[in-house]
Amino acid sequence: MIGRIAWRNILRNKRRSLILITSIVVGVVALVLTQGFAVGLLQQMLTNQIGADAGYIQIHEKGYQSDPTLENSITDPAPIREVLGRLSGVLEYSERLRAFGLVSSAYNSYGVSIVGIVPSEEEKVTTISGYVTKGYYLSGQPGQILISASMAEKLKVGIDDKVVIMASQRDGSVGSEACRVSGIFRTFNSGFDQSHVYIPIQTADQMLNAKGMISEFVIKPADANRTDSLAAMIRRAIASSGDRQTYEVLTYKQMLPLLVAQLEMYNQALYLIAAIIAVALIFGIVDTMLMVVMERTHEFGVSMAIGMPGRKIFVMVMLEALFLAILGTAIGLIVSYAALTPLSRSGWDLSMFSESLRSIGIGSIIHPVYETASVLRSVLIIPFVTLLGAVYPALKAVRLQPVEAIRTT
Amino acid sequence: MDTKEISGEIVRVENVRKIYHDNGVPVDALRGINLTVSPGDFSVIAGPSGSGKTTLLNIVGTLDKPTEGKVFLDGEDVSSKSRRELADIRLRKIGFVFQAYNLNPVLSALENVEFTMMLRGIDAGERKRRGLVLLEELGIGELANKRPNEMSGGQQQRVAIARAISNDPRLVLADEPTANLDSETAVKLLELMEKLNHQDGITFVFSSHDPQVIERAHRLLILRDGQIVNDKVNK
Repeated sequence: MIGRIAWRNILRNKRRSLILITSIVVGVVALVLTQGFAVGLLQQMLTNQIGADAGYIQIHEKGYQSDPTLENSITDPAPIREVLGRLSGVLEYSERLRAFGLVSSAYNSYGVSIVGIVPSEEEKVTTISGYVTKGYYLSGQPGQILISASMAEKLKVGIDDKVVIMASQRDGSVGSEACRVSGIFRTFNSGFDQSHVYIPIQTADQMLNAKGMISEFVIKPADANRTDSLAAMIRRAIASSGDRQTYEVLTYKQMLPLLVAQLEMYNQALYLIAAIIAVALIFGIVDTMLMVVMERTHEFGVSMAIGMPGRKIFVMVMLEALFLAILGTAIGLIVSYAALTPLSRSGWDLSMFSESLRSIGIGSIIHPVYETASVLRSVLIIPFVTLLGAVYPALKAVRLQPVEAIRTT
Repeated sequence: MDTKEISGEIVRVENVRKIYHDNGVPVDALRGINLTVSPGDFSVIAGPSGSGKTTLLNIVGTLDKPTEGKVFLDGEDVSSKSRRELADIRLRKIGFVFQAYNLNPVLSALENVEFTMMLRGIDAGERKRRGLVLLEELGIGELANKRPNEMSGGQQQRVAIARAISNDPRLVLADEPTANLDSETAVKLLELMEKLNHQDGITFVFSSHDPQVIERAHRLLILRDGQIVNDKVNK
């Protein structure tokens, strides 16, 4: 019956209840949308980086991660190929031979990471082929090169134009190759674009005089959520294959520690945002519920006079707040779901901020995520905050002196 | 626990004083009141405005505490009880009828009557049955589902009486119960309370200066300047 009274009291002053519900709805929507966009943005940053270049797992010769030179490359990749070939958790893998060097045209030279790839393998493991905007992706023919649009602009070259790449060989001499631009790419990340060129692996072999050597194996797992366990499995498999060599099997978290730390930092920032929204909401709730108690002082006095104990008065006020919280949260969730679902499919086109977004590796379209964790966070936080905001007004009601409260009109 | 077993007494008020502070100035609202109420009484505390009627009723009803003196309800000293204990005593032993009816506006007539029974933990089916019987007895059975704003003053006061007696209290305290009613309605209401007193033995203590109430009371206590100046059986 106390619940019934609490509910009817909500309906009694519809306008005030509506104002409070609206503020809760705004809080929920703000929370879910902020988190949806932030999580979407962060995930995009990570998946972009993983998808275009890093992959989920890489295998290197031990020491390559801290000193990525030709000396630290794998000289006998056969045992690793054998291990990767038999592990069912490995969906695809590609091999790369990479070096830091120069790419030059008649006009300019720039330092870049020259990545020798097996185009047909790379296509299955990373997304770089999908970013080709002009010309063609590498066909596998020696002497081809894939450069970014910004690099093409700086070098003042176009499709089929010739550029020269050069890099140090193991003995310290400089190897070079002349290549023709087969395609021009433009990814989500301007920094990445300016620092990467792709050539077929046999061209890299030739330039670096490193035939048969591999800098890194890039692995696409069958289930991305099980990256860590797959990495552990690969480590065990390599160790048990009895290969005398030692390798580093790294997941994206180890390869991209800065990005992962950034994501963690953003996640912490989300809690701060949630806290700010909660604080803003709590003041509104305290204010409204105090008004409720003040307006009904006489009624509380009468209820106390006829024997209603303080704890039931407390429960009644708290129930009112809880009903408002449940209503506000439910409506807020529906509204945010309705707003986020189409946006998560089509993405939010932020082309006007395209360049700044590309500079941090996001791309111009953000796909917000309606993530269960963030939804749960709001579902739990908002009613909790509402109830917290109602405690003080409810205690104020409990502390009323019946004889004085009855006199209040 | 300070108790006095006084057989045949529901209320005993001993040397009660109540001093209010009005802007820092002490005001003697009650000055050494002694009073007993016996089962089946139909008493009225009369007196001019400001004589202390409502203050005395509030103290007897445990809504207020005396500055000095003691109040015994069913032989139990209630002067030093906690808020929680007093709420429980009011719930079990006292029914209140107010001048302005004071029904809960969001509850129907039946729900208002059920409310006090709910507070005592009586289950929903039993509350409803008893509530309907009470409303029928008080002649407002057809108003069971009406909200207070859909009822006249007299009807609301009947619901208030039903609420007051729903927990079988030892005592019903009625503070100016007819003050907001026209004389015809007031007479009907008084007849109803007389009937409840006569047939069911419910004890009533009124505070009133309404001649109709004074006329019907079996016992008349006249209060003036915080003191009982007359306590007589009404002929």
